[in-house]
Parts: sequence; C-alpha cells; structure tokens
Amino acid sequence: MTVKVRLPRILTQAVRDGLRHEVTGDDVGQVLHGLFEKEPGVRNHLIDEDGRIRTHVLVFVDGERAGLSTPVPDGVEVQVLQAVSGG
Amino acid sequence: MRIAVGTEKGGYLVTETGDSWSVAGPMFPGWKVTAFGRTAGGTHLAAVGSNWFGVGIHRSDNLTAWSPTDTPPSWSKESGRKMEEIWTFHTDGDRILAAVAQAGLFTSDDDGDTWSAVEGLNEHRTRDDWHPGFGGLCAHRILTGADRIWVGISAVGVFRSDDGGKTWSSKNDGVPPVGVPADVPRPEVGYCVHGLAHDPESPQRIWRQDHAGMFRSRDGGDTWERIESGLPSGFGFVIWRDDNSGRLFTIPLTSDENRVPVDGELRAYVSDDDGDSWLVSGSGWSEAPQYTGVLRGAFDGDNQGRFCFGTTGGKLWLTDDNGSAWQQLEASFPRIDAVRLLR
Repeated sequence: MTVKVRLPRILTQAVRDGLRHEVTGDDVGQVLHGLFEKEPGVRNHLIDEDGRIRTHVLVFVDGERAGLSTPVPDGVEVQVLQAVSGG
Repeated sequence: MRIAVGTEKGGYLVTETGDSWSVAGPMFPGWKVTAFGRTAGGTHLAAVGSNWFGVGIHRSDNLTAWSPTDTPPSWSKESGRKMEEIWTFHTDGDRILAAVAQAGLFTSDDDGDTWSAVEGLNEHRTRDDWHPGFGGLCAHRILTGADRIWVGISAVGVFRSDDGGKTWSSKNDGVPPVGVPADVPRPEVGYCVHGLAHDPESPQRIWRQDHAGMFRSRDGGDTWERIESGLPSGFGFVIWRDDNSGRLFTIPLTSDENRVPVDGELRAYVSDDDGDSWLVSGSGWSEAPQYTGVLRGAFDGDNQGRFCFGTTGGKLWLTDDNGSAWQQLEASFPRIDAVRLLR
C-alpha cells in the first residue's frame, strides 16, 4: 500500500525533506519504518526505547487513532500528532 | 559578544551590536534547548528535548542553519531506562562526552553523529542505589584532565575514572550525603553534586557546588573541604572558574526548599583565593527584589573577562570586565536552562 504521512510542525527541524512523505507499508509499523528510511532522524522522536510509539505521540489513519499494527488501506493519510498533554 | 541562550521554549542568539543588543530566534521553536557544545573542529552542537518527542542533537557551522543528527544517545530496551534529557556536552580533544538523564555518560568520536554508552559508569555496581533528586536522575557535569574523567550525578555523587572510563569510583569523602541521618554510616552513593569546575593546569584542584554546600578538593576528589566564608548561603547550582585569572564564580540561593537568592538579592559571588573567601562580584546588580534562580548550565565565560548567566525568570546578565560591572539585558526569555558565550 502507498500512503501519505504527515508529521507535526514541531518536527520541522528534525527532518531533511519536509513534513509530508509518501511511503509504502501494510500497517502503521511498516509505514513508519518506510518513513524512517527517508527521515532517519525522526525515529527517535516517534518511537521510545521499548519500540513503541511514544506515550504522548498520536498516530491517526484516515482520521482514526491507530497503533503500530493498525492496517493502512491504499491511499489513506497517516497523520502524526502531538498529544494534548498537560495544562 | 554573542551568547547562545537555551530555554524551555527554544533557543536564542543574543548579539552585541555597538551599544545595543539584538535577539535572533527562536531556534528550535517549541523545543527545550538544554545544552550547547562545540566540537574540536568548531562545529556547534545543540541538545534539544521535548516531553512529547524525546531528545535530539543538532549541529551547525554558523548557529543559523542546523542539521539534526540521526542517532542521539539512547538507552537500550534491555536497560529499562528512558532518555529524558541531554544535560551537557564536554569536548576532550576529538572526543565529545554527553551527560544525560536518566543518568548516564555517552561518548562520540565522530562529532556527535553516533554515540556509545560508557558502560563502566552506566552499569556501575552501585546503580541500583542511584535514586533521583528533584531534577531527576541526571548526570550533568563532566571534567577531564590528566587522563582522568569526573562525572557529577545528582543525588548520587561524583565519580572518577582513572583508566579512560573503564572503571569508576565514588569520590565524595568530606561531603555530607543527602537525606541520611548523621548517625548512619556514610553510604557509597547518595551525594547531590550540583556543579563542578577545575583547574585545567592542575586538574586535581576541583571546586564543587553541592546540595550540601560549597566544597573544594586538592586531590582530584579523594577528599573535600567546605569553603563558604563570605557566602550568604552554601546552596546553589553554579560554580565557574575563569581559567585565565583563576577567579571563581557562584550564585548563591537560599536553600534546598527555597531556591531563590537570599532576601531576593541576586548576586554573583567571586573568590580570588581558590575559594577561601567570597565576596559580591562588582556592581550593577538590581536593587529591586529578584526572586529567581540560576541553573547549573546557565553560566558561562570565555576566559577573557567576559561572563554571562541566565535566570529561571528569563533574564540575561553579563559582564565584559571580569565581573566588575554587570548589566541585565532588557529582553526577557522563557526559563533559561543553558547559556553559551561564543568565543
């Protein structure tokens, strides 16, 4: 599947080629893996030491909250957001 | 004079232009900028952090265009630790060292591109007894010299390696531990070092701002003696030594539970006798109450008579005459964590 990935603006300085990418993968984990091949500096900011999506990072697939194993239909948008954490 | 300022919300570049100052920024908007460093080749380093997105390291040749590194220091999954913050960089020849929270030491031999954990310290046999202080479980100060390395870890103490980082020993004799009754035998760890400075020409001479007061060692940290004559309080975070003059600087705060200047009188104090006595550094200090703090990474100097420090209230103070006359810039910043006086 080929999907679009959109990253939050705060990661502007962590990327080399912009906040929007097109990558392939069958689920969110594969899509993020494809993203990290293009933007290796982003991995540390989205994935924690345990290999999980960081606690305060949200991933949405076509508008629905998703995890690493969530399937990604062809052509959807995977959006990464900063959670509203704190006051 | 140019000063890189790291704050809770971005970094700023403050530049003296004639009789005035300009402020450029923010660099890294939205990120906490926790430390600045410089490689032997002159490349600038900036450590950033975010409660959401973890830590990062950026590099620049001109302080304007920054590039992220791909692999900042990180803990393994097996360690069970989290990389919470990069507290400081230290350049030792071609090697860069980084002290981090959760407490650990990492080194880079490729200008910060990749990092290796210093296992001898990070997996020290006392590690299970390392417990976080108010600022977390953080390694935050690094000294090198005479083939030795010293690292300060909050609420744990000072460790020294005499073999390039393979093995480490606790070096806190003479300093009271924190939170331990007087009649309990001295523990090996549990000492809350806040700041370290030494004489690079004679590295066995070390000064230490500790949670428990101001201390000095003449033997590389084997033993420590209290040196607080003239200080309004022994508590604080900053200890800085000007390597040209030997002059020491500190900024006393009232106490552990009241981390503001005594009576609101924000002052740098200096010692010209290796810490035997202290007095207020020069003039220019505000007569108005200044209930603010100064953190350990927020003081810097260039060994040419210029010094600056930033406050938790977001103000920047500086002097260009070895501490005789101080001025506070009008500009206000977010809480200042780190300053770097650019040489």
